[in-house]
Amino acid sequence: MKIPESGTMEDGPNSAPHNGQLGPSGVGTSSSSVKVNNSDENNPRLQYSIPGILHFIQHEWARFEMERSQWEVERAELQARIAFLQGERKGQENLKNDLVRRIKMLEYALKQERAKYHKLKYGTELQQGDVKPPIFEDGIGGEPVDGESIFITNSNVNWRQGRQLLRQYLQEIGYTDTIIDVRSNRVRSLLGLNPAGTSEKEDQTGGSALNGGATGGTVGGTAGGSAVASSSPGDLSGNSKRLSETQGRRAPAKKVPPASLAEAMIMDTEAAVMANFDFLAQEGVGVEVDDEDDMSDEMEDNTDDDADDAASASNAATSKRNKIKAKNLRDDVDAETEEVLNEFSFLGSDTDDASHELRVQTDTTDWGFSGTSSGGVSRRSVIPAPVTGPAPAGIGAAGETAHLAGLAGLSSSDDEGVDGHLGLGELAQLTVNNEAEVSYDISVNKESFRKTWNAKYTLRSHFDGVRALAFHPVEPVLVTASEDCTLKLWNLQKTIPAKKSASLDVEPVYTFRGHTGPVLCLAMSSSGEQCFSGGLDGSLQCWNIPGSNIDPYDSYDPSVLSNSLLGHTDAVWGLSLHSQKLHLLSSSADGSVRLWNPQSKSPLLSVFTSESDGIPTSVDFVRDNLNQMVTSYNSAACILFDLETGQPVTRLETDKGVEDSVFGRQINRVISHPTLPLTITAHEDRHIRFYDNNTGKLAHAMVAHLDAVTCLAVDPNGLYLLSGSHDCSIRLWNLENKTCVQEITSHRKKFDESIFDVAFHPSKPFIASAGADALAKVFV
Amino acid sequence: MADVECRTERRNRPGTKTVEYYRWPEELFEEMDSTLAVQQYIQQLIRKDFTAIDEILKAPDSQDEGVWKYEHLRQFCMELNGIAVKLQNECHPESCTQMTATDQWIFLCAAHKTPKECPAIDYTRHTLDGAACLLNSNKYFPSRISIKESSVAKLGSVCRRVYRIFSHAYFHHRNLFDEFENETFLCRRFTEFVTKYNLMSKEILIVPIFEEVDTSGFIGHAAESEAYGRMEKLSEG
Repeated sequence: MKIPESGTMEDGPNSAPHNGQLGPSGVGTSSSSVKVNNSDENNPRLQYSIPGILHFIQHEWARFEMERSQWEVERAELQARIAFLQGERKGQENLKNDLVRRIKMLEYALKQERAKYHKLKYGTELQQGDVKPPIFEDGIGGEPVDGESIFITNSNVNWRQGRQLLRQYLQEIGYTDTIIDVRSNRVRSLLGLNPAGTSEKEDQTGGSALNGGATGGTVGGTAGGSAVASSSPGDLSGNSKRLSETQGRRAPAKKVPPASLAEAMIMDTEAAVMANFDFLAQEGVGVEVDDEDDMSDEMEDNTDDDADDAASASNAATSKRNKIKAKNLRDDVDAETEEVLNEFSFLGSDTDDASHELRVQTDTTDWGFSGTSSGGVSRRSVIPAPVTGPAPAGIGAAGETAHLAGLAGLSSSDDEGVDGHLGLGELAQLTVNNEAEVSYDISVNKESFRKTWNAKYTLRSHFDGVRALAFHPVEPVLVTASEDCTLKLWNLQKTIPAKKSASLDVEPVYTFRGHTGPVLCLAMSSSGEQCFSGGLDGSLQCWNIPGSNIDPYDSYDPSVLSNSLLGHTDAVWGLSLHSQKLHLLSSSADGSVRLWNPQSKSPLLSVFTSESDGIPTSVDFVRDNLNQMVTSYNSAACILFDLETGQPVTRLETDKGVEDSVFGRQINRVISHPTLPLTITAHEDRHIRFYDNNTGKLAHAMVAHLDAVTCLAVDPNGLYLLSGSHDCSIRLWNLENKTCVQEITSHRKKFDESIFDVAFHPSKPFIASAGADALAKVFV
Repeated sequence: MADVECRTERRNRPGTKTVEYYRWPEELFEEMDSTLAVQQYIQQLIRKDFTAIDEILKAPDSQDEGVWKYEHLRQFCMELNGIAVKLQNECHPESCTQMTATDQWIFLCAAHKTPKECPAIDYTRHTLDGAACLLNSNKYFPSRISIKESSVAKLGSVCRRVYRIFSHAYFHHRNLFDEFENETFLCRRFTEFVTKYNLMSKEILIVPIFEEVDTSGFIGHAAESEAYGRMEKLSEG
């Protein structure tokens, strides 16, 4: 419709002025459209002259620009809001991290206590323990020094200049005002980008939004000295710096008081804060002395991990800011900024989103911005209510410079606000770093301690309780024997990746099938080529162990089962191998202990029985006198036999003290110390007892577990004892002073049974436990 | 042992005689507080009377069916070791070069990357080893108290595979099978189990365990025993 009509150009002159008049007045769409309608009715032909159309288009364009600027304002508002919320989040994170750090500190303290305890209690290990604490103390000694020195030097250099400035400002302006102003600044920082209304200002607003952080950096820099200028990273900061400078320059030109005032106030507050900080710093030093490690750690972290800080800052917007901050940090203004930030965050937390508008308005009056924005007053109605503050100033040409000045002030104040957030971010990062540091300490702890064993491999493949296990003498390989009638060979180097958990799952590389009943005991030869197993059915099998790298699904090789030792007529419960020659001792529920040479044609060498003592439960070679063996009985007797003569040599005084026990007289396991003439017994009555082989006298007795002790193992050096119990735990004992070094809850119960066997690897730092829950676990 | 009875601690202490092993007063399922209660309960029922199949397969009230099936299958695979040990002595790769039951099917061993025509004894061992790995897999069966539905679905294929061990033994090593079956009633229980829980279709349950051997499986039986005789000769030679 319009197109054909607009073709009539002759009448243009008349209509043009009319429309021209309409144009300026009709800002809103409604008014202009109404006018158009009117003109349609009155003078349809005049309506569509070229100038009129141009005017209209101009109007429309202006209107769109207005709207666009409004949206920009809104967007800026929301961005500010986001920044604020992010800041709050950072604050929360900071709080959380602080608490976490505190927990870590406590943990660490506890660890040290434990170390001390160890030191006091265990002589030998203690040496490891001893080594550890010293390392720590060294670290402690070194760290505080570093922290302090950096702290002082940097702060001195950077402060002095800043302080001079600040003092000047302070003289100009009262201190008390500043806090209010800072607060208002802070609020304004939330809405501070509003003024960017027109397209001309867009760049500026974009810039200022971007600059928020950068200028924050500069402000921080001026506070802290010249450091920031050099440190501000990349083009962004460069730009921002320039921008802020130009803003600063422009501001003084037109509106010197507000800009300088704003800056001054900021400086004031900073100065005040710094004054506070001085105080705090002293306190901090004091704290350092008190809690040497913690504080110094923190300081260390700050300096050490600056780079990390920068890297770790992940949010696009915040990362830039954080980088700047990080740089600042490197200049070690951090301490101050931290404090400042704390203050600001404080203030920030006070300001509520809901109260934005109100405060903004009051602010403007405070700052006298409403006056400066006179040029734009006429347009104020156009702009939505929330923006009533300084925003209108931006549109009018007259108000522009004024606004710029305001903007400069705002941006700087804004920076402060952002700074507050930044500071929080920094703090958060600091604590994060602390976390890292602390955890590092812990790992160091473990490494040098080397005494805490952790479950690493879980061996799951048996269908029923694992009754026994034995390590390969050299390789990280072990064999387990289970009530599911099988034995399995495990190679700890062939693990399958387990999800989530820290422990690795291992699948067996070979399954030994030959027993038709539960396998109860197991022994591995010192060459690692053979193993022997005793079953509930009285069978005693000899196995050639396949290579630990065979394919688990290789074809069946009957030669793995080399032969069976026939003789026992009831369950075989105990096995022990001679450490030098391939001689095997077995104890059985048929009442006999038998000595075998499995390679011989007639393998049975001798039979030992002691009918009056009941049924043998466990047997072992006497390691420091290989011509003897020691056997325990379910009657609580424990006898050393001479293997040559077959006669009892010594009867250990195991009956004493056991007689009255309500827990039963049973000895579940007997082992011989690898180097000393010492026999160790595990009792159903929860005790572990130590006997002198020469005299047969009790050397030591202790209640070792909460339930029956079922199994024992001594490490190859004879320094540690490992015990397992039906109380579901295994315990590591220092043999020298008979104290428990570590307790690990390892297996679950099936009926009233839990742990059946424990073992030390003969040459590698592995220990293992086997349980009624069909699992075996290896600890490192 | 007296000790055990008076204190009712259910333990097989070292030195326990074979006949005393697991000989302790029964424990009610409700009183088992262990995480392995289902296994305990099933084993207790089997020890009490392994021929009472219906009772063994009857799940306690409110027992999760997935766990019940899982624990039973564990028990089956465990007891199948007995037949595997017997087969190791009798079923040689030279005589049973393939895993077969009737002549209809040759079963390929699924334990390998590409299914393979393993000799029967290897198939048996691999299948049991593979089942042990699967049923103990931390991925599929991380808990023995609750089992994901997707993992329960895996039980069917395990059943199908281990059943072939029964069928091979039945059709090729009948004496061994009968001996084992008389000791354990395992094939009967297994057949009942997979039927009850619908883990295998009836058509592939080819061992006529609940039928009179003389009538339905007579011809087949004759043929198998012939084959069995041949194998005996081979092994002797």
